[in-house]
Amino acid sequence: MFFSRIEKVVLGLTVFVAAFFVLPPTAEAMHIMEGYLPIGYCLAWGAVALPFVVIGVIRLRKTIQENRRALILLAMSGAFIFVISSLKIPSVTGSCSHMTGTGLSTILFGVTSTSVLGVIVLVFQAILLAHGGLTTLGANTFSMAIAGPLVTLLLFKAGKALKLNKLVNVFVAVSLGDLFTYCVTAFQLALAHPSETGGVLASLVKFLLVFAPTQIPLTIVEGFLTVLIVIGMESFAKQELAASSYGKVI
Amino acid sequence: MINALLSFAFIWCLTYGRLPVPVILVIGSGLAAFLFISSRHRHTGFIVTDVLAQASRLKSVNPTLKVITAFALIIVGIASPSAWTGVFLALTAFLIATFGGNISPHEYVEVLSIPLAFLLIGGLALLIEATPDPTGIVNINLYYFYLTVSPLAQQKTALVISRAMGAFSCLSLLSVTTPMSDIIGVLRRMHCPELIIDLMYLIYRYIFILLTMHHEMMNAAKSRLGLRNYRTSLRTTASVYSNLLARSHNLASQNFDAMESRCYNSGISFLENRVKANAVQVSACIVLLTAASAISLITVMM
Repeated sequence: MFFSRIEKVVLGLTVFVAAFFVLPPTAEAMHIMEGYLPIGYCLAWGAVALPFVVIGVIRLRKTIQENRRALILLAMSGAFIFVISSLKIPSVTGSCSHMTGTGLSTILFGVTSTSVLGVIVLVFQAILLAHGGLTTLGANTFSMAIAGPLVTLLLFKAGKALKLNKLVNVFVAVSLGDLFTYCVTAFQLALAHPSETGGVLASLVKFLLVFAPTQIPLTIVEGFLTVLIVIGMESFAKQELAASSYGKVI
Repeated sequence: MINALLSFAFIWCLTYGRLPVPVILVIGSGLAAFLFISSRHRHTGFIVTDVLAQASRLKSVNPTLKVITAFALIIVGIASPSAWTGVFLALTAFLIATFGGNISPHEYVEVLSIPLAFLLIGGLALLIEATPDPTGIVNINLYYFYLTVSPLAQQKTALVISRAMGAFSCLSLLSVTTPMSDIIGVLRRMHCPELIIDLMYLIYRYIFILLTMHHEMMNAAKSRLGLRNYRTSLRTTASVYSNLLARSHNLASQNFDAMESRCYNSGISFLENRVKANAVQVSACIVLLTAASAISLITVMM
């Protein structure tokens, strides 16, 4: 026996703390990489995501027919989401972190626009940043541009109904939306690669655990940063904010 | 550094019991050293792949041919039951990008190192199981349970990792040889909805405008000690992002006025330099696809 029981518990805790706060090499939105999902799963997730995107395109087309200026604004919004998701944000551990941008996008532009812009941004991220992939586009669209934004929107509206402080509401909605995106991605991975001994559930726990050190701090930082961005916009981008979904909901 | 350590742990777990320990040590430490050195030289800021695609010698090859071949190769790679297909695709993509496209090996590997973090962390999750008994080749006693690596998990992970490596190599090959505007042109010819095509063209254009704007704002912030500590840098980042949105909206508005004054109705057209694929290029793509499929078939038959 090399270690006593107490020593083992202390060692375990130390490793856990180290893994949580020191280890994360890069904290990026959890995109499933090209080639990581078998073909059947790629097609299935594509089929799940497609109706949302089609509805999004139809609704956007209508909006653009009524107001042609909206196309340019939407394009600039898409570029904005891409740019903030590709730039480094300050990180506690000195690691390299990026925002997912979808929480802010949902609050500013709504779920419909986020789903269509999300697909385009994911294609750009796959081709220009080698982040995500073309065959995993359906799965990534579902988790990042549909499931996460829906949770963010529902929480944002519920918070408003409960008369929660505006900024607390933004923080809660964005952080939990991000957290949900990460859970959905872990579920997608677990479903495609179930564990030999414990099946999908054990695999889900494994994927949630290995990505937790990078993803949980990221959701908190992204929540804070989104609150600060909203405060910033309220002071010098009031007009733009009023024209966005945020302006309509608040 | 962390990536290097993780990759060493991953190689150890993946090959332990299959290769002699000295070989594992050489492969693991070689990969770790390579990752450590390459991570110190990473470029930041602007999009590397786009710059490489514009400079590539294969830029002039018909984009439709490149997109279809890359996509078909990705599908063959993912569907293959053999780990060797992935290795073949990764090596071929490297050779085509460096010798055919005239990109330096260092730059190509730099592009590939981006998805590596996901590959390593996800790979470790696939390899390691938590079991009550030490049943694997590698067993780590964590007092209440064991972290084990079984031979079957090693085999499965090797297949998933090689498929992923093959597939993302093909995708990277496409991105370092084909500029984004050419890919959007191919999507238009494939009858992708006009709204999405217009949005893609405009987003692609605006990305560079916003990146330049962001670069200037961050420089201004840095020169005024805006990133001196964590608290300040969070506040600075938030201010820069909110300003970026305000300025981008202004710019979008001016852009629309400019387009409308030039009779913009709907549909944005660009002059495309259409190049036909020649017989040699088509045959090369067919040979590549046949070779990748043959490796898969031979493995199934064996």
